[in-house]
Amino acid sequence: MFIEPINQKESRGRVELKRFEQTLRQAMILPIVACLFLAAVLVWQIHGSNVTVDRVEQSDQRITLATLIEKLVIDEETGLRGYQVTSDPRFLAPYHYAEAPMQQAIARLQVIATPEQKDALAQFATEHQLWHQTFAESLIATIGAGGHADNDDVNLTGRAEMDQMRSLLNTIVSTSQQVRIDRADQWHRQTRQILAIFIVLALSVGIFISLFTRNRLEHISAAFQTALNLQRRRAEELFQSEQHLRTTLTSIGDGVISCHVDGRVELMNPIAQELTGWIESEARDRPLDEVFHIVNEATREPVENPVSKVQRLNRIVGIANHTVLIRKDGSEIAIDDSGSPIRNAAGELTGIVMVFRDVTMERRTRAALLANEKLAVAGRLAATIAHEIHNPLDSVANLLYLLQQDPTDEESKHYLEIAQTELTRVTHISRAMLSLYRESKAPVPVNLKDMLEDLLLLMEGRFNALGVQVSSDLPPGVIVEGFPAELRQVFTNIITNAAEAAGQDGAVTVRVIPQKAVVKPSGDNTQAGAVVEICDNGPGIAPEIRDRLFHPFFTTKGERGTGLGLWVSQGIIRKHAGSIQLDSRNEGPDRGTIASVFLASKPVIDLGGD
Amino acid sequence: MIENKTPLILCVDDEVVGLRVRKMLLERAGYRVLTAEDGRSGIDLFASQPIDAVVLDYAMPGMHGGEVAKRMRQAKPTVPILLLSAYVGLPEEVSSLVDIYMTKGEGAPALLQKLGNLLSM
Repeated sequence: MFIEPINQKESRGRVELKRFEQTLRQAMILPIVACLFLAAVLVWQIHGSNVTVDRVEQSDQRITLATLIEKLVIDEETGLRGYQVTSDPRFLAPYHYAEAPMQQAIARLQVIATPEQKDALAQFATEHQLWHQTFAESLIATIGAGGHADNDDVNLTGRAEMDQMRSLLNTIVSTSQQVRIDRADQWHRQTRQILAIFIVLALSVGIFISLFTRNRLEHISAAFQTALNLQRRRAEELFQSEQHLRTTLTSIGDGVISCHVDGRVELMNPIAQELTGWIESEARDRPLDEVFHIVNEATREPVENPVSKVQRLNRIVGIANHTVLIRKDGSEIAIDDSGSPIRNAAGELTGIVMVFRDVTMERRTRAALLANEKLAVAGRLAATIAHEIHNPLDSVANLLYLLQQDPTDEESKHYLEIAQTELTRVTHISRAMLSLYRESKAPVPVNLKDMLEDLLLLMEGRFNALGVQVSSDLPPGVIVEGFPAELRQVFTNIITNAAEAAGQDGAVTVRVIPQKAVVKPSGDNTQAGAVVEICDNGPGIAPEIRDRLFHPFFTTKGERGTGLGLWVSQGIIRKHAGSIQLDSRNEGPDRGTIASVFLASKPVIDLGGD
Repeated sequence: MIENKTPLILCVDDEVVGLRVRKMLLERAGYRVLTAEDGRSGIDLFASQPIDAVVLDYAMPGMHGGEVAKRMRQAKPTVPILLLSAYVGLPEEVSSLVDIYMTKGEGAPALLQKLGNLLSM
């Protein structure tokens, strides 16, 4: 089964989310942009239209001004005509009055007129000036002087000038009107155009927005669909993964019980059900102690279950040695177990998982191995002891022969004394050998000097055969508590190893160093007791095998060794709450190996031990 | 002058009592006996004295009987050597070095007979 890595899924999910956000942004921004564009086009168009309206107004102003000028000209002429007919100066009032406004109007029109109109206006001004001076003023002067101004030529000339002026003004008005009409048309066209553009643009923008939105929505829908599919696939994968783990859990050869953080049973695999005798449905939600009842094999005291130990220590815990599980039906099995905390991503304890297995066979095998090693030690010692007994027996046999050869009384007495001594020695050896295998139920005081001297005596022949010089420094009165037979086994082993390592012409030293209780600054207390040091000047232990020395079945002696000696020794020393340490150098003046065994005077002996 | 014709036997053994008893036994049988408690002093005596035969123990600290026999052979190849051992099986290279070897349990008559045979050869 392929399970996609979680981070890959997450990164894909992030990409989807990014695309979705991008689409949302586009769906919001693009209509705004389109509307802004539409507004800009409309503003531009309306601005054009306003310009046209301004121009129309300008044309209106021109027409107004030209019409005003024409009216003022007519007023002037009318006033002048009235004065000509009546000679009454009151008729001249409009004439005089028109002068100033006309100049103003001309000036204003001059500013806003088209170039052609300006020319016409300039011509009008010239004509008006001419009319004013040559016709009007002279006429007023003539009448003012009491004369008559009935000269038709003069009047016709005046009339012609006036017509000329009017024609010029009419030109201005009519061109202005034409311009106004054109501009008004333009304005109408522009309005229609704006309307058309507005409709077209509005339609385009509408269509664009709808098409775009539709397109984006399709994208979103696709993204949503993808996300949904991904989610579905993840759920499927999660289910598969859970199935996979569940299968793993049920196929595992060890019993597994997982518990809630409060210690109630959550799940049990088939092996756990078989070992405890509880079925999962019955055990679920019960406190673990009820389902998983464990006691110490030797003391029958209840043992703290790994779950409460994990709750207390909040770390992975192993089991105490020699634990027995009492099954639902009351039968017992030896087990080995461990508990581990289950933590969530934040590191909080969310549950506890416990793994345990039936070690009944393992313990039996171990016991068999230990018995085997005891026999092997006995076998090795037997050869040595045979040699030791042989020597005094040989002497005794020789003495008996001498006694048969008619000795004097004195000689006989002497022979018998020697024979007596030699037989005492034999007895001593056989007693030492017997004590090697005398089992005791409880620890007893062991005098290290006596024990080691006995051992060295038994092994003397072996040392001789190997050509090894043995020296010892055994102060009297050093006593530790323990099981003598087991301690003898340990020291026989270590001393034999040392002698074999030292080899021909080698030296072995056995030393006892009493040790007082010391309270170290670190707070660790050193117990009172003794260190037994066994040193040899052999080649030392090769660095690459040092780690394996205490492993069962590890031997450098080929067929001659069982590979159990140090393993068993370590077990025995641990049971005595002591320690065993090997310090080895392969070269230099202090070449060789020092085995140091610490034994406490009053150890707390692990009675559950083997 | 008669004494000079009595064979001089060198006994080497680290077992002091056994060595003493063996000396008494051989002296009773009419031999002159020199003793050494380890291989080195045995070799010294062997070199300096007119030894006629050697009764040598195999298992000794420092230098075992095989090594002692080898050195004696190098010094005086004609002197017979009888090797005693508490072990039943000795290595081939050791047993081939000496004229005869026997285990300690075989008893005094056997020792005296074998030594007699060696000297009369």
